[in-house]
Amino acid sequence: MRYLERRMLHASFLLIAVSILCFAFSALAPGNFFDEMKLNPQISPATVAALRSQYGIDQPLPVRYGRWVKSLFSGEWGYSFAYNCPVKNLLLLRARNTLLLTAIATLMSWILAIPIGVWTASRRGRWEDRFTQAGTVFLLSTPELVLALLLLQWIVRTHALPAGGMLSVNFEELTFKSKLIDLLKHLMAPATVLVLASLPLLVRHVRASMIEVLQAPFIQAARAHGIGKATLLFRFALPAAANPLTSLLGFSVAGLLSGSLLVEVISGWPGLGPLLVEASMNRDVYVVVGAVMASTVFMIVGSIVADLLLLIVDPRVRTS
Amino acid sequence: MATDLTTRRSEPPIISAAGLNKTYIQRLPFSRKAFAVQALRNVDFEIVRASLTVLAGESGCGKSSLAKCLAAAEKPDSGSIWFEGTELTRLDGCEMASLRPQIQMVVQDSAGALNPRFTAAEIIAEPQEIQRREDRRGLHSRACELMEEVGLPASAANRHPLEFSGGQRQRLAIARALALQPSLLILDESLSGLDLSTQAHILNLLLDLQQRHSLTLLLISHDLSLVGQIADFVAVMHQGSMVEQGPCREVFSNPCHAHTQELLAAVRIIESTYHAAQAGAGR
Amino acid sequence: MKNKQKLVAAAAILVLLHLIIFFAGFVAPYNPASQNRDFPFAPPTRIHFVDTHGHLHFRPFVYQYTNRPDSFSEYVEVHEREYPIQFLAQGAGYKIAGFVPSSIHLFGIEGEAQIFLAGTDSFGRDQFSRILYGGQLSLAAGLLATAISLFLGLLVGCVSGFYGRWIDESAMRLVELFLVLPWLYFLLAVRSFLPLHISPVQAFFLLVGVIGTIGWARPARLIRGVVLSAKSRGYVLASRWFGASDFYILRRHVLPHTYGVLLTQAALLVPQYIVAEVTLSFLGLGLGEPAPSWGNLLANLQEYNVMASYWWMFAPALALVIVSFGYLKVANAIHEHLQSGSI
Repeated sequence: MRYLERRMLHASFLLIAVSILCFAFSALAPGNFFDEMKLNPQISPATVAALRSQYGIDQPLPVRYGRWVKSLFSGEWGYSFAYNCPVKNLLLLRARNTLLLTAIATLMSWILAIPIGVWTASRRGRWEDRFTQAGTVFLLSTPELVLALLLLQWIVRTHALPAGGMLSVNFEELTFKSKLIDLLKHLMAPATVLVLASLPLLVRHVRASMIEVLQAPFIQAARAHGIGKATLLFRFALPAAANPLTSLLGFSVAGLLSGSLLVEVISGWPGLGPLLVEASMNRDVYVVVGAVMASTVFMIVGSIVADLLLLIVDPRVRTS
Repeated sequence: MATDLTTRRSEPPIISAAGLNKTYIQRLPFSRKAFAVQALRNVDFEIVRASLTVLAGESGCGKSSLAKCLAAAEKPDSGSIWFEGTELTRLDGCEMASLRPQIQMVVQDSAGALNPRFTAAEIIAEPQEIQRREDRRGLHSRACELMEEVGLPASAANRHPLEFSGGQRQRLAIARALALQPSLLILDESLSGLDLSTQAHILNLLLDLQQRHSLTLLLISHDLSLVGQIADFVAVMHQGSMVEQGPCREVFSNPCHAHTQELLAAVRIIESTYHAAQAGAGR
Repeated sequence: MKNKQKLVAAAAILVLLHLIIFFAGFVAPYNPASQNRDFPFAPPTRIHFVDTHGHLHFRPFVYQYTNRPDSFSEYVEVHEREYPIQFLAQGAGYKIAGFVPSSIHLFGIEGEAQIFLAGTDSFGRDQFSRILYGGQLSLAAGLLATAISLFLGLLVGCVSGFYGRWIDESAMRLVELFLVLPWLYFLLAVRSFLPLHISPVQAFFLLVGVIGTIGWARPARLIRGVVLSAKSRGYVLASRWFGASDFYILRRHVLPHTYGVLLTQAALLVPQYIVAEVTLSFLGLGLGEPAPSWGNLLANLQEYNVMASYWWMFAPALALVIVSFGYLKVANAIHEHLQSGSI
């Protein structure tokens, strides 16, 4: 428990530092948001005045930062100029969508990577292994962007899956089961891209860990005792290889998160990615900062979860 | 030799230390526990000019710490060291830098002390390169000279240290130490880990160098069997304190401290075993 | 040694790819900005060896294209005249490396026909040429940004590892901060804060600067590790006794240890940074029209009808994959070479 407390404290410091960093960079922007806002016909003068008093738009940077932090506690989390509403409304919804996509993609890629990695490690050097290696290399050299575009092209051609978005137009009218199926259908394309993008690295690591473990003396002993292949692989070897793999979990969440941005944009999944891109184009400062903070929170939570898993999986870490 | 020694003894010592204290604090990582090791307790020490002094004692008695303080590689917590009349402990960086070339040290681990990527010539030339005493060509020729002097073939100048044997590496380290023409050369357990014949060869080399360059040598060793026979002076340390100092003849014939007696006893056991073996073989 | 041979082979192929792109002016038949308004979205020109009468030609040739009578963007070949492909042909002028003017191209067509190896875009611009020229910008961005990251990483890693204590502590906290940020999000954010409408040259250097300053953290940590282990070696201590300055020790004893790390990191970072540039340009936040970059070339695919009908617009993706693959091979080869021996 003390470990968890320490990590949370550490994470809070990191988040504070990240927010300061973001705000510091926002100061790089030339011109004044205030002036730009005044010119924007969509925002009424009353809103402008309210924003000015609440967020100190025309004040120096530290004041703006302080007001923003205050707005975190008051539940607004900053104000979006483009959408004309508090950032919180946008952020929660989009964050939930990104979380859904990323969590499912992470789960899927690990569920696939472990068996593939274990299997190729056991068949090391034979054609199955070489074939998988070649496939891995090919996937690794294909950036996510290209994978996403290719998949979308295929969808457009074959109409097998919906070409974008998260929910169909008539979502509300569907039964619960149909709703679920509809969601899954929309999820399939972006999730597949994410899985394909992160699979090669995971498979490589699983394979490498397993190969190392399979050479250990205790495995030879178990084999000599006549223990069956499947049991050997999954009940003896895999737990021993779990240590480095659990640390990898933290990293894979990180990579997946950055990758999801692009995939969301291309496939039209309404997550943090498109929100950030739009806000970047519109110079919607508070949304930008909010989106970056949200994704950083995901990263940190991911790595804390990975560390906790490590704590559970590896007894040595617990006692040190 | 004896009169020579007495005249040399009457001159001021090349280096002397008084009241040296040094404590090392070891802290375990991620823990509040720390333990202190007192390496030097009020040590007084003198080295006679152009002599060969041996500093002996069991492992962990503080010989290396004393050597490092003398070589100005570390600073003692308290006490003072005089080298040729200048007090080392009071000097600042610049003044120290001008004195450094005169006191050089050779350590036990020759492989670690020599950069494996350098060639032998580069290693030997390094001190001069640092001090910017000569240009490239001069450096190389001087390096070859030094190699010849320590008994290494100049043709090996382009080899890397790991291609040499342990004994040859020590010679290399000695050549490097000689590059700046020091007046005091300290050898910290440099002979340990070498076989007896190699030790003998290197000791002969050191004696030659001493004669040729009027070097003062300080040999640190925990084994008196070989070194004790050729040294002029001996100093014995025990658990951080200097327990006995003096000319070899006097100390060996009349050891005062119990520890000195133990060290000598060990030597005598080796000697008597040797003689017994000789006698047995002769029969 | 087999590993070294693999490394050399992989590196040679990569260098060849870079040379082709460096000499884009020579290899490309057309100027990237020249438009052919008569041929919007023309498919890749078919190359023939056998003509309609069944004769085998020695030299490959193409036919002139024209619009299908009733359609706008569909083309048919006009089988009246064969236009052989000339090698080392005269064509539009260009400058090698921006200095040396020349007008010789690797291949071209004499006459009215065109050779669009990768089709054209909505303005009728030859995609093959644009891909090659775009490669110049994308590769240059990747290489420069990598240089910046490695330089920053080397600087911080050396200072932090060598001097230790509070410098090290604060540097490592900073590294941790940069490593915890999801890089693409942060990249977009920083890019968005900077002026959006700037000249292409400014955009390029801005892009390079931003990408480079985001990725210094991992190299810095790796180099710090190397420096830490190197600085406690016996020969470093010995050098100090000879009066060596910190700078001398860093230069002569510590730096050689970092070469391996720098090389591996370079091979890993360059493709990542190229992809970063492509991503930014794709989203419209990087290099913009009219300067071609693989990113903004691929951005055409964001339109539904382009993606549905004009498959050749995917060609920049192929170029990207080929370059990424090349770097991956080199990175693997370096890794194996380092594992087996030492540089």
